[in-house]
Amino acid sequence: MNNAIDPAVDPITLEVVCESLIAVVREMRASIIRASYSPVIYEMDDFSCALFNARAEMVAQSNDHPGHVMPMPWSVRCAMEDFENDIHPGDIILLNDSYRGGTHLNDVTLLYPVFAGDRLVMLPAVRSHWADVGGATPGSYSGLSTNIYQEGLRMPPIKLYERGQPNKAVMRLIEANMRLPEDRKGDLNAMLGAVRAAEQRLNKLFGKYGLDTVLECLAINLDRSEARMRSRIRTLPAGTYVYEDYLEYYDEGRFDPVLMRLALTIAGDGVTADFAGSNPQVPGVVNSSLAVVGAGVFVALKSTLDPGGAVNQGAFRPITLKAPEASIVDVRADAPAGAHGEVRKRAVSVMLGCLAQVAPDLVSGDLCGTSFPNSMGGRDARRNRSYVYYEAPAGGNGGFAEADGSSVYVNVDFGNIRSIHNAESLETDMPIVVEKSELRVDSGGAGRMRGGLGLHREIRLAGEEAVYSVLSDRAVIPPYGVGGGASAAPVGVSIRANGQDVPLLTPGKATGVRLRRDAVFILQSAGGGGYGDPLEREASRVAADVSAGYVSEDCARSAYGVALDHEGRVAERGTSNLRAQLTGAIVRLPVVADEFSPYEGIKGRHRVLRMRSATAQRLGVLSNQLVELLGRHPAPLRAWIKIDEGAPADVFPLDAFGRQVLGVAAGDAVRLRGIETPIAPGERRRDPGAHEIGSRIRRPII
Amino acid sequence: MKMVGVDVGGTFTDAVYYDDQSGELAWAKAPSTPRAPAGGVLAAMDRNGVDLATTDRFVHGVTIGTNAILERRGAPVWVITTKGFRDTLEIARTNRTVLYDIKTLKPASLVPRQRIIEVDERVLADGTVLRALDPDAIRQIASRLRAEPPAALAVCFLHSYLNGSHEEAAVTILRAALPKWFICHSAEILPEMREYERFNTAVLNSYIGPLTARYLSELSRLMRSRGYRGAVHLMASSGGIETAERAARFPVHTVLSGPAGGVAAAIHLGGLVGVRNLITYDMGGTSTDVCLIEDLNVPLTSEQFVDGLPVRTPQIEINSVGAGGGSIAWVDTGHILRVGPRSAGAVPGPACYGKGGVEPTVTDANLAIGRLASSLKLAGTVALDESLAEQAVQRIVAVFDSLDVPRAAEGIIRIAVARMVSAIKEISVSKGYDPRDFALVAFGGAGPMHAVFIAEELEIAHVLVPLRPGNFCAFGALISDVRHDHLRTHRAALIDRELEGLEDAFVQIEAAARSAMTEEGLPAGDVSLQRSAGMRYVGQSWDLIVRLPAHSSDSVALAALFHAAHERRYGYRAADPIEIVSLRVTAIGRVAKPKLSEWSITGALAAAQQGSRQVWFAGNRCNVPVYARDRLPRDARIAGPAIIEEMGAVTIVPPDWRVAVGSVGELHLKRGAQ
Repeated sequence: MNNAIDPAVDPITLEVVCESLIAVVREMRASIIRASYSPVIYEMDDFSCALFNARAEMVAQSNDHPGHVMPMPWSVRCAMEDFENDIHPGDIILLNDSYRGGTHLNDVTLLYPVFAGDRLVMLPAVRSHWADVGGATPGSYSGLSTNIYQEGLRMPPIKLYERGQPNKAVMRLIEANMRLPEDRKGDLNAMLGAVRAAEQRLNKLFGKYGLDTVLECLAINLDRSEARMRSRIRTLPAGTYVYEDYLEYYDEGRFDPVLMRLALTIAGDGVTADFAGSNPQVPGVVNSSLAVVGAGVFVALKSTLDPGGAVNQGAFRPITLKAPEASIVDVRADAPAGAHGEVRKRAVSVMLGCLAQVAPDLVSGDLCGTSFPNSMGGRDARRNRSYVYYEAPAGGNGGFAEADGSSVYVNVDFGNIRSIHNAESLETDMPIVVEKSELRVDSGGAGRMRGGLGLHREIRLAGEEAVYSVLSDRAVIPPYGVGGGASAAPVGVSIRANGQDVPLLTPGKATGVRLRRDAVFILQSAGGGGYGDPLEREASRVAADVSAGYVSEDCARSAYGVALDHEGRVAERGTSNLRAQLTGAIVRLPVVADEFSPYEGIKGRHRVLRMRSATAQRLGVLSNQLVELLGRHPAPLRAWIKIDEGAPADVFPLDAFGRQVLGVAAGDAVRLRGIETPIAPGERRRDPGAHEIGSRIRRPII
Repeated sequence: MKMVGVDVGGTFTDAVYYDDQSGELAWAKAPSTPRAPAGGVLAAMDRNGVDLATTDRFVHGVTIGTNAILERRGAPVWVITTKGFRDTLEIARTNRTVLYDIKTLKPASLVPRQRIIEVDERVLADGTVLRALDPDAIRQIASRLRAEPPAALAVCFLHSYLNGSHEEAAVTILRAALPKWFICHSAEILPEMREYERFNTAVLNSYIGPLTARYLSELSRLMRSRGYRGAVHLMASSGGIETAERAARFPVHTVLSGPAGGVAAAIHLGGLVGVRNLITYDMGGTSTDVCLIEDLNVPLTSEQFVDGLPVRTPQIEINSVGAGGGSIAWVDTGHILRVGPRSAGAVPGPACYGKGGVEPTVTDANLAIGRLASSLKLAGTVALDESLAEQAVQRIVAVFDSLDVPRAAEGIIRIAVARMVSAIKEISVSKGYDPRDFALVAFGGAGPMHAVFIAEELEIAHVLVPLRPGNFCAFGALISDVRHDHLRTHRAALIDRELEGLEDAFVQIEAAARSAMTEEGLPAGDVSLQRSAGMRYVGQSWDLIVRLPAHSSDSVALAALFHAAHERRYGYRAADPIEIVSLRVTAIGRVAKPKLSEWSITGALAAAQQGSRQVWFAGNRCNVPVYARDRLPRDARIAGPAIIEEMGAVTIVPPDWRVAVGSVGELHLKRGAQ
């Protein structure tokens, strides 16, 4: 057939070439799966492939993990900056630097420059989760690291191959610094196979359609994705919208939330996401790079505003990112950077908080907000080998205008990852027994549309001693609801020994907790935030939730104001009474302008809401309690109560930023709602069994 | 012997009739009757003039179960499961297949939580019992369920694939107490590790059980009333057939059977004409199914999904895309021309059907550039209107300055072809096969019209078009043997000491396999057995199924087989220890089947020509001769461009291609002038 191309590529060739490039990525994926040995890849699909052009723009991907591929252009750019004109046919570049477009150190990236003659035209790339990259703990992550050296071997862009010749010194250095070096070699071989296959396919494509035509198709495709995104952005009202949220940091054992602040400016067909005012970086696992934060911004924008359609760098062009240097959103050496998933998810949270103000029908309640990776390792005496348990149980998704959020379903920034294993596979492969794996009742945020439920999973150690670690967030400050929807339940981890459930000292974070035979660790993933006022949820749907067991009868009464008769049907009278009663109990106070900084903390910053003890008493809140204020905007403003007898009486003092979050002016009344948390700022979890040594919390073996 | 094969599709029911005395093969199509499907089956046979009283065999491809799942019309299912695991179905694997859409919902479980009942029993991963099943607990559940209207039930306990005693004990009590219920348990459907997939497969079985059983008994009743005395066989997803009695017990076996007949038929045809590597391309109105066949072996998998729900029984590995003749072309917000996935379906159908459709479909595009003609009647009933097709394509032209109707129409076809090409790459290139090593077998109503354009993109040099491509699936049902797959979880390291029990285990499975075939009425002499085992390197998560010779427990020989299979599939072999995780026995029961007779038409090629028409190829208008397929003489050779028409299908031979008529009437299309 005739494949000759008009100078201005026709729409059909364009579509065929773009489809072919996605097929190249698909082939790379297949090649990785074929060659890989690691269950992280086999069972969980934790890797991604993409194609980049010579300007470091991502031109094709295929259902790859957004958290991997969206930060990748930064890596490619860094590599090209480092090597400038020193990239040649046969070079292969390796990197995992979290400070330079990387994610966590476990995600290792391979770049393969493809040349046409001496012209660099394309870079196929693979980013793959290596099960271990060295560092303090097996698996290379821990919730309580204080610097990046504890997280593993950091590799800036380096040439693994130079003009076709392998750099054996690099390989030896890698093998010497990682656990199970044989497996790492296998991981690397799988990646090499994929990029080489891509080169072959690309050359055929260039041969068939002509290099210039292919490059022109790519350029047009990027432009079209950009135009599509811009046309969607243009539908939003121009203006600047702000929101703030937190990550959970422990400063020497004391809870010290760190602040993430976003000002999202929509101007014409572009957006600027400015993270000014976000917390300076801290020596804890709550920092990440702007590349990772940008991925969160993009995923939130794309998946609310423009679901479907091609995902490539063109769609990213309308977005400008700004952030303070050496902050939790633009981390610099040598702060830990292992929490890329949590930082990315919090960027999604603040984006949703802003977008809710301009497109409330397109957003959902907050997502479960953490990837919640758990690992346990030990030796299996019966099988005489070491094992590593790894699961990152998905939580709930936020409710949205049309439906309740899905339960135990990975969030939209997490790709097509299977976050847990079948109990039968786990029990077959390692000495554990899954005692329970079920939906977590009442964990979804109440709302006109309910948030999805989290998972309740209990795992008993049936072997000898083992070591457990977890790196989570949203274990204290729960996912928020929008439009009056309520918060979801936060992540919970406890350990049961001798019939007693003991929560972790630092909720959601632990490094190397030692477990003995028959200890049970209980994982509870977070729910999704509610959407809309729970008192407006159809009572029959609440009754159905109670009948299915998603919502308890108590919660139906207290959160939804729905009374049921003894057969589980809605009691109409009781319900309208209850709803009237709950509506009557809502507390509102007027706002006064108070430009004194509302933030306190050790290294972190958390917003305090100052009030007199008499006011607190009247409102039924306690000192240091987390509360949320609900104003005109859909998403709430969180703050901790600070008793201050010098505060003005019976009003909420709020700075300009706080008022902007809520969309209120001085004099407007806002609603206050209390939230229960397991721990308050500055507080160490009181645990009689724990004792401190130096700056680390230790506790006896359970 | 007289036999009839019937395939029920969404729009048409196809029938094939064969009489081995006369060697006559007859074909017919009748509209499907979704409300009374059994009636549609009889109508299709009536159209063929089939006398059921003198018919010996009846084989049937059904989609009743699949449709019930897609439309969520199955029976209410109750699940009895291990304490602590009531939410296994709803939790699923937690992954999200649609990205960048915050409003994506997880596929809904088929069983509401209220109908899931936990029992305090527990078997461990080594098959030992941690907590024994209390029969009284089951009796209590049974008496509770007696108060409910009869429905379906699945008993799903952890590790039942290793120790099924709890499931079996529960089922015995429940079947006695609830005689009108459809009851199954997970290990009898799929005795394999991984509870989510196993439970889900069992639940699907129960979900479509009552409906399938009802349909089959209605069909049997109607057929008996017309004097049919033979067995009723159903096409299964594994590419074999099984009796209606067995299918009524394991209806989940038929869930992905729709396209299976076509694959079986392609393998048969490949064997007859000596082409052993095939890619099937079955394009209908709303979807296209493709399958890669290496060396005439049925490619089996157990990792397919129906509407997001896993089905883990053995199925032919078929890749389906939602693009067919009825797929609609449209322009998206990014000013990009797209085709599908939305389809005009049967109602209103493509614009050219004149039933109210206005959006351009792939069929309209073909009509607008002469590849189809208004003189044709699809399946003999639907007339096509060329001006309506052109008007529809004009809607695309209006958006792009650079296009006219012929270019837009060719563009729509090229984009549809690109999607099929992607689907074929997924089953070939992505799995390490080079499509150039395969012939493309094109069938389904729309397959032969696009086959060469797909072959061009994939550089496939040889396209095969069977006779009556629109009825090829029904024919496939008739030439399939009875097939049963037996599976048992059996873990053993590949060292001689651990292989001692292997032979005994296989012998036991084989005995069960033989007696199941006897129950189906097959003489022992017609039954053959094939052993295979699921094996993997220790540490790997997924196993590879390796065919084994009879009576081999030699660790060195088994290891060699596994290494070779692993290298073939994944491109490398490792030095790691190997383990067996499952034993499988496939039983094949040979049945009488039709023989495609030699193509006997003789005479001049000119006598087969029935005119010519203007057709666009690559932007050029050509005058193209049109031939009647039924009159093409044996060994005829025609250089493209040419069009060959027959009942239900049109084969397009573009310029630079040629076509030859083969020994059983099949068309061989090859690239080049001669």
